Amino acid sequence: MSEAAVAVAAEGLEKRFGPVVALAGLDFEVPAGSVLAVLGPNGAGKSTLLRLLAGLARPSAGRVRIGADEGRDRRRMRGRVGYVGHATFLYPNLTVRENLVFAARLHGVARPGARADALLAEQGLAALADRPAGALSRGQAQRLAIARGLVHDPPVVLLDEPFTGLDPASADRLAERVRALAAAGRAVVLVTHDLAQAAALGDRALLLVRGRVAFDSRGTRPSAAALEAAWREVGAA
Amino acid sequence: MSVVLAVLWKDLVTEWRRRDRVVAMAVFAFLVVLVLHFALPARDADEARRLAPGLLWVAYVFAGLLGLDRAFAIELENEALSGLALAPADRGWLFLGKAAANFVILGAVQAATAVVFALAFGVELAPVAGGLALVVALGSFGLCAVGTLFGAIAVRTRYREVMLPLLLLPLLVPVLLGAVSATAGLLETGTLRWPSIQLLLVTDAVFGIVSFLSFEYVLDE
Repeated sequence: MSEAAVAVAAEGLEKRFGPVVALAGLDFEVPAGSVLAVLGPNGAGKSTLLRLLAGLARPSAGRVRIGADEGRDRRRMRGRVGYVGHATFLYPNLTVRENLVFAARLHGVARPGARADALLAEQGLAALADRPAGALSRGQAQRLAIARGLVHDPPVVLLDEPFTGLDPASADRLAERVRALAAAGRAVVLVTHDLAQAAALGDRALLLVRGRVAFDSRGTRPSAAALEAAWREVGAA
Repeated sequence: MSVVLAVLWKDLVTEWRRRDRVVAMAVFAFLVVLVLHFALPARDADEARRLAPGLLWVAYVFAGLLGLDRAFAIELENEALSGLALAPADRGWLFLGKAAANFVILGAVQAATAVVFALAFGVELAPVAGGLALVVALGSFGLCAVGTLFGAIAVRTRYREVMLPLLLLPLLVPVLLGAVSATAGLLETGTLRWPSIQLLLVTDAVFGIVSFLSFEYVLDE
């Protein structure tokens, strides 16, 4: 893999909260056009990892590299990352469209209204454009949150358990969307509890346990059987 | 600049639709005025003029504390604060947007409170309305600048309702000194006391610059 193709890299990445070690020296690279699936039990450090990659938190040691940036220019780094977190980041009193226009303006998108309309159509939310975000179902809100994360067309997309709350049809559509993002050259880091989704979507999988890598499928696409075996081993340990 | 306007627009639209913050602030300020009216009844117009500056600013600061606390509470819903922090802009611009919205909302409450205060204490504020608006704007700028900064810090703490006044009130001493003195000057002579205005300008500049620069770190986890 060439250096230029690496879209996201973590080098010796550590995060401590006082005496608690959330991440203990992670090293990995995510090439552009690929999906890294990150698995692990609760408290493994998956969400902390995404928040470090998104520039929401500073590492205690090590560094994050987004494209050619080395984590020093955190503003630029934030602009190259689209982050869809556990929470939706939506304002319930703003309409669906207003939420997207606001996010677009925060990210300096040239024509925020047009971009919002395009994303609403893409996510099948155009009919709900004038509805308050607080009145959406969980699945609709999740689709809007994903649109919000992609509003600035970022080269790196971070998804924290995006399938939560989606019905099977919406989950299938999201899985297609994740594949399309990677096919369009974006690097995707996908945190999930779903081993089947990780195997289906991931070009590489990391299993985190207490902030350390317990399994890494580096060099091969993860199979559901390999992930299940690794998960059982972790559970046994 | 577009980030400032976006945050200002978002906060004002949200407040217009919810109206909970502005109503709570106004009702609280009116109640403070009423309590002060009964606790410190003025015997004549001179005594009312003497008491008015301090009492008016007590009502303004209490209403401001309530509003500043709510300003970041709305960002807790759906973790919207993280969404703000993801903006690829200098976070100082986010601070300016939030502070500007606080300033506008507090200003509306202050205008209504001034009317209630004038009626309750029998103080003529109309003849000095222009000067008073300037003093209130300068005082509120300092209050909103440092209040927005500490509101963002306090919102992630366990006892945010207690933490904000504890952090904020000691820092507001120079703002209150300048604002009360300038208001007193206006009510006594109808003119602005330049040293008080200078104190407010310096305090505003220091609070504004420090808050703008430190907001980048405040929003980090």
